[in-house]
Amino acid sequence: MIIEVHDLKKTFTTRSRKGTQTVEAVRGIDMEVRKGEIFGVLGPNGAGKTTTIRMLATLITPDAGTATVAGHDLLKEPAAVRRKLGYVSQAGGVEDTTSARAQIMMAAKIHAIADPQRATADVLTRFDLTEIADRPGRTLSGGQKRRVAIAIGLVHNPPLLFLDEPTTGLDPQNRANLWDRIAELRESGTSVLLSTHYLDEADALCDRLMIVDHGRVVAEGTPAELKREVSGDVITLRVDEPERAAETLRPLARETRIDDDLLRVYADDGEHTLPALLRALEERGVKLSSIALDRSTLDDVFLAKTGRSLRDTGADA
Amino acid sequence: MIRHTALFTGYELKKSFSNPIWPLFGILQPVLYLVMFAPLLKDMTPGRTTTEALLMFTPAAMMMIAVFGSLFSGFGLIADLRNGSLERYAVSPAWRPAIVLGRVAKDMVVLVCQAIMVLIVAIAMGVRIGAVELVLVLLLMAATGLFASGLSQGLALTVRDENGMSQSLNLFMLPIMLLAGLFVPISFAPEWMKAIAPVNPLYHAVEAGRALFAGQLGDSSIPIAFALFIVLAVLTTIWSMRSLSKIAG
Repeated sequence: MIIEVHDLKKTFTTRSRKGTQTVEAVRGIDMEVRKGEIFGVLGPNGAGKTTTIRMLATLITPDAGTATVAGHDLLKEPAAVRRKLGYVSQAGGVEDTTSARAQIMMAAKIHAIADPQRATADVLTRFDLTEIADRPGRTLSGGQKRRVAIAIGLVHNPPLLFLDEPTTGLDPQNRANLWDRIAELRESGTSVLLSTHYLDEADALCDRLMIVDHGRVVAEGTPAELKREVSGDVITLRVDEPERAAETLRPLARETRIDDDLLRVYADDGEHTLPALLRALEERGVKLSSIALDRSTLDDVFLAKTGRSLRDTGADA
Repeated sequence: MIRHTALFTGYELKKSFSNPIWPLFGILQPVLYLVMFAPLLKDMTPGRTTTEALLMFTPAAMMMIAVFGSLFSGFGLIADLRNGSLERYAVSPAWRPAIVLGRVAKDMVVLVCQAIMVLIVAIAMGVRIGAVELVLVLLLMAATGLFASGLSQGLALTVRDENGMSQSLNLFMLPIMLLAGLFVPISFAPEWMKAIAPVNPLYHAVEAGRALFAGQLGDSSIPIAFALFIVLAVLTTIWSMRSLSKIAG
């Protein structure tokens, strides 16, 4: 295990004119990350992902709990943890006026690498940055900046890399490109802890993941395991009387869920359930205006575990 | 510790001098003051000569760069707080105080360069100063700058917002400047101003600077200014180093 976390907690207190407010950002998280895997922390904004990563990166002191990161106790040996880490924050940490090369070189020198010049050149080549290496940070595009940020975090070849929402704000091409780069880290044996609020990102990149909501772990496993747990397929129906339809279909489904005028029916074998389902609805005279069959996604896992869709949580976060 | 401080100092210096136009602009201002403002003071000096006016104004101009040049350096820290690089350094094995100390040291180096430029202009305009006095003036200026730079970094890490930072600096600056007798010595001021001026630390630095330029090594203002600014510089530097823990927020 490269990361072992037990019952980690953090509450923030903010004082303002309105009085003291406390926010329980992380309410007891347990997690285990294996050596060499890409482990994802998936959840909506405000779920506690960034707070968890910042605690494990020694930036914030946890209120309670224990953690071992890269072989060292987080609370007793924070300096040793820092030596083993590559940390790429949500903001990225690319400076505006300095060149990518100078920033990477500085990181290499801080880590007391034997040949900082060579390590810098290597990581620049690895991330296709050689051509833009001497341009100041502010002139780089969003995708280039992200690559520079990761290059800075990797120049000292850390056994463990933290990526806090690495593709937020990137266009689809740049995201796909970055996914490939992150997936390549598996070959070099670097373990990755990645946080994201994109389902497709977690699905595409992670060997294992945990879903967090309101500072708690609601599910954990490989993407396939998690999706199987919910059930293989989801049939989404638009009906005029969802309650009555749900009651009708319950015997055919593993689970039903009503979301306004939408009815979601979870079934192990969607294709074969569909004809029986349509027949049942007709017999009861429920009016059906549309129907769709999909393989379940991590969003369905999130929905099943929290009662909300990850797509809906953006609005209130 | 020292290695990391040197590393950050070098990095910050390279950053400053990668575009030398900005430090140059910083120097230009006091030089312009010497050239264009000192002659205006001529009639206020006993002998009514430009050299006398310069003797009075050069030390003030030097303290002015020391304070006001360094006071703004915290803005760089706010930018780095925002782009996340400060957080990145905090997670690195770097000795954390070095992150702030490197910036303060960079300010000192820039300050000394600027001071030498001002001195060259002043000497070219007829000011003469002894070697001991010169070294003491530079040291005093460094201590003043250290205080201002530490204050600025600490303020930046506490306020964490450019807008709030510029407002709070403005609030401080005008009274400190006027009550120091930078432009016109406090001896010309009304009694109530004379009474409150000693509360302003910069007043002592300017007085000591003037005594040094006048060659009065025994003047009591010199040890007072040194003692005051060494203490203040240590305090603000410690404060700024401590404020670094607020990066996590």
